[in-house]
Amino acid sequence: MRKIKFEYKLAFSYLLLGGIWIIFSDKLLSSIIYDIRVLTEIQIFKGWFYVIVTAILFFLFIKNHLTKLRDTEIELEHHKNHLEKMIQEKTNDLESKNEELFRKNEIINQKNTELKNTLVCLQDTQSHLFQAEKMASLGILTAGVAHELNNPLNYIMGAYVGLFRHYENKTFSENDEQVGILIDSLKVGVERSVSIVEGLNQFTRNSQSYHEECNLHEIINNSLNILQNQLSNNISIHKQYANSEIIIKGNVGNLHQVFVNILNNSIQAILNEGSITISTKLDDDYVHIEIKDTGEGISAENIEKVADPFFTTKEPGKGTGLGLAITYNIIKKHNGILEFQSDLGKGTMVKIKFPK
Amino acid sequence: MIRKKKILYVDDEKINVQLFQINFSNSFEVLISCSGMDGLLLLDKNLDTEVVISDMKMPEMNGLEFIGKAKGKYPNKRYYILTGFDITGEIQHALDNKLILKCLKKPFNLQEIERILNE
Repeated sequence: MRKIKFEYKLAFSYLLLGGIWIIFSDKLLSSIIYDIRVLTEIQIFKGWFYVIVTAILFFLFIKNHLTKLRDTEIELEHHKNHLEKMIQEKTNDLESKNEELFRKNEIINQKNTELKNTLVCLQDTQSHLFQAEKMASLGILTAGVAHELNNPLNYIMGAYVGLFRHYENKTFSENDEQVGILIDSLKVGVERSVSIVEGLNQFTRNSQSYHEECNLHEIINNSLNILQNQLSNNISIHKQYANSEIIIKGNVGNLHQVFVNILNNSIQAILNEGSITISTKLDDDYVHIEIKDTGEGISAENIEKVADPFFTTKEPGKGTGLGLAITYNIIKKHNGILEFQSDLGKGTMVKIKFPK
Repeated sequence: MIRKKKILYVDDEKINVQLFQINFSNSFEVLISCSGMDGLLLLDKNLDTEVVISDMKMPEMNGLEFIGKAKGKYPNKRYYILTGFDITGEIQHALDNKLILKCLKKPFNLQEIERILNE
């Protein structure tokens, strides 16, 4: 039910009471008093009585009402103050929280910078490690490669000795055929020396770019050349290359490192006699390279660990234990995949997949 | 005219045997062969061969395997290895056993080889 407002109630009650009072008091008085003069006088008293009673009633009503209103106002004021205090407190609280957050943010930023520096440092160390491993495996290979140079040098020396004698004896013209052979030997000797040195240069180049054109067949052949000396007569190499050239974007030096490492492992796994089969295939999206040897194989227990840094089954000085770890990393950097399958005693198959 | 000394040179690389023949055939009668197998056959046909020089690294039969067999048959000839590589354990063993008299190095030294052949 709608609450009737105070002012209406007041006006209505006044009208009702006043009306009733006037009607009934007059009727009552006129029924008991007959003297007009007395009646008039009593009427005056009655008027005064009415005014006084209504004044008292008004006073009480309004006082009561105003007291309520004032109380409410005071309470409101009180609430308002309380609210202001609360807001102030909360604001202070928020400000200090904000300050704390800001400080923490600064610390986080600082840590972030530190982390970034550490990351750069780590990347730097990693690239140094790559290079160090390359140099370590190169050290193992160098002896062989240096000696490999003695063969073409022997051609050059032989050609020189022969040509010098003809020069001294002035016998060039009588020995056409022989001079031809000597000059050819000189040429073959120089060409072979150049290709050995070039092979080494390719392997040791220290470019950081992963956007070089890498001819995979050339890189594999070159890696085989570098390893020529490690290859005894008892290891046969079978190449089953795809018909077309395979060129991917990558880092030439690092890919040499990949194949030198994998092929060197295959060679070392073959204790007496055996073969290494290298096959390359292309499909719509990928380049597949498989290197299969008939060596001693890797145990199931070790195959999980072959790509772990510093894991090696080789004698001290024969391997760094970093070869496959780095090989794995290099392949990953080329967005490729490296997999091993091995049967102990039967051989190992290394599968590499690069996106085209 | 004095008869030239007969020598045998074995090396799987054709250029090496050709050069050896060109450079030493003035003073020696140089027999050449590209494998240990052929070398043994040549020795059977040329019993008067005095000196045998062989490369070390060859397919099928390496230099020492060849010399081992040759010396078994013809112990009175002088045998040498000519190699581009270091003296390996196998070669050292052959030196210690007097299977070979010396291990010569590639690239070859004309004077050293002439001196040895003339001994």
